[in-house]
Amino acid sequence: MTALALRCVGAEVTYTIRSHRPLIRDLLRGQRPAAQQVHAVRGVTFDVHVGESVGVVGPNGSGKTTLLQATTGLLPVSAGEILVRSVPAFLGVQAVLRNQLTGRRNIEVGLLAQGLDRAAVDDLVPAVVEFTGLGDAIDMRMETYSSGMRARLHFSVATATSPEILLIDEALAVGDRAFREKSARRLDEHRADSGTVLLVSHDLGEIRRSCDRVIWLQDGQIVADGPTDEVLAAYEAS
Amino acid sequence: MTTPTEPSTDGLFPIGRPTPLGIYLRDLWARRDYIVRVPLNDLRSQNAHTLLGGAWLVLNPLLQVGVYFLVFGVIMPIDRGVDSYLVFLTLGVFAFHYSQRIISDGARSMVSSMGLIRTLRFPRATLPLSNSVGQAVAFGPVFAVMLVVVVAHGNAPTARWLLLPVLFALQSMFSLGASFAAARFNHLYRDLENLLPFVFRLLFYVSGVLYSVDHYVDDALLRGLFALNPMYVYVTAWRWVMVGGPATVVEAAAAVAWALVALVAGFAVFRAGEQTYGRTG
Repeated sequence: MTALALRCVGAEVTYTIRSHRPLIRDLLRGQRPAAQQVHAVRGVTFDVHVGESVGVVGPNGSGKTTLLQATTGLLPVSAGEILVRSVPAFLGVQAVLRNQLTGRRNIEVGLLAQGLDRAAVDDLVPAVVEFTGLGDAIDMRMETYSSGMRARLHFSVATATSPEILLIDEALAVGDRAFREKSARRLDEHRADSGTVLLVSHDLGEIRRSCDRVIWLQDGQIVADGPTDEVLAAYEAS
Repeated sequence: MTTPTEPSTDGLFPIGRPTPLGIYLRDLWARRDYIVRVPLNDLRSQNAHTLLGGAWLVLNPLLQVGVYFLVFGVIMPIDRGVDSYLVFLTLGVFAFHYSQRIISDGARSMVSSMGLIRTLRFPRATLPLSNSVGQAVAFGPVFAVMLVVVVAHGNAPTARWLLLPVLFALQSMFSLGASFAAARFNHLYRDLENLLPFVFRLLFYVSGVLYSVDHYVDDALLRGLFALNPMYVYVTAWRWVMVGGPATVVEAAAAVAWALVALVAGFAVFRAGEQTYGRTG
């Protein structure tokens, strides 16, 4: 049996959403702004082995994104535990790095923030620029980018460091066809290199293409976890 | 469902938990190239849309001193108990603004990098720290102007100048520490960044930047109270080191104490909020 890449044991993620932070007026009156406790992930247990590609499906609000964010350490787990072999890279759609900087500078900043040293960054930047396929736009400020262009940049930055574990949240959906093919190829290479992928997507075709196993989440809990065909068949029938 | 009992968890570590201090510092150290390079690039592009470009790094402090000197040295030249008002002013204004820049830009450092925080996982202390490094580098040209003013007024270098790196380090430590705390509070409530300009304006007037506290305040106890104001302490220390202005042991001790206390306490305050950055509520 291959080694574990990550393990979730009874992981729960709870966070509070408020309409706004309490204002002085609220504090003086002893009121708190309407706060809503969101129990987004409620006791999720699963193992992912090195080299596995696992799709995560479920309706909107079922806790998929939250689970991924907790797995990369962007959100704390409120109960249970998530163990990882290395810090996973997270790819989301709302990815912005620094809007006022150019794409090229964002690549640099992103790579440095991931802990690469100067020399490695200098080596990598041209290849990443090339991979984004953004052409001259790479030297324009990121605030001028479309969501597809942002996703391309972010995907290129996140996969440039060849992270062992890649968490992808709908990030491929916004790219155009050419870029989706290119990123699919990179994911294949990543898998061939015994990389691990967790892919959240509403595009079941994409999940069928790239995942051997699927986890179905509903209301923050696992409904089914098994081979892609079985789970997707049940999911589509639901 | 896979039963998570069989395979070994060797080599796995928990995520989403507060990182122990040692590992946090190690992760921070691994970001050293970020901490130095990103603010340097920012400095370079900061004046990208100006005619004079990088010259502003020198022009800005020159103009500041110029304005104060015009108003308080030429238009209203009253006795402030100092020999060379220009030198006195230059040292005071530059020392004061160094801390002010670190703390007020540091306060905004989390809020202005929200995208980065929400996308990538890295020790958040990287951001205030890299701001401080950037300000320290930007202090280079300011320091050069300072030297020219001091030497041009016939102040030859003395042995005390050897203490400059120590003083600079202490003031940087204090300012960094304060900026850590400010970054956390400003992330929680942006009110702080609205308030800070006024806090610094007030501090500017009570820290003896424009006049000699020594000249007006004789009472030792009252002077001791001034040592509670770190900005006064560092402004005074610069003058003592560079041109032999008056200073006491109390003020020297305060310069060290403020540096250590602010850095340790500020870092602790900042780290306690590590998990909250990038989130609302």
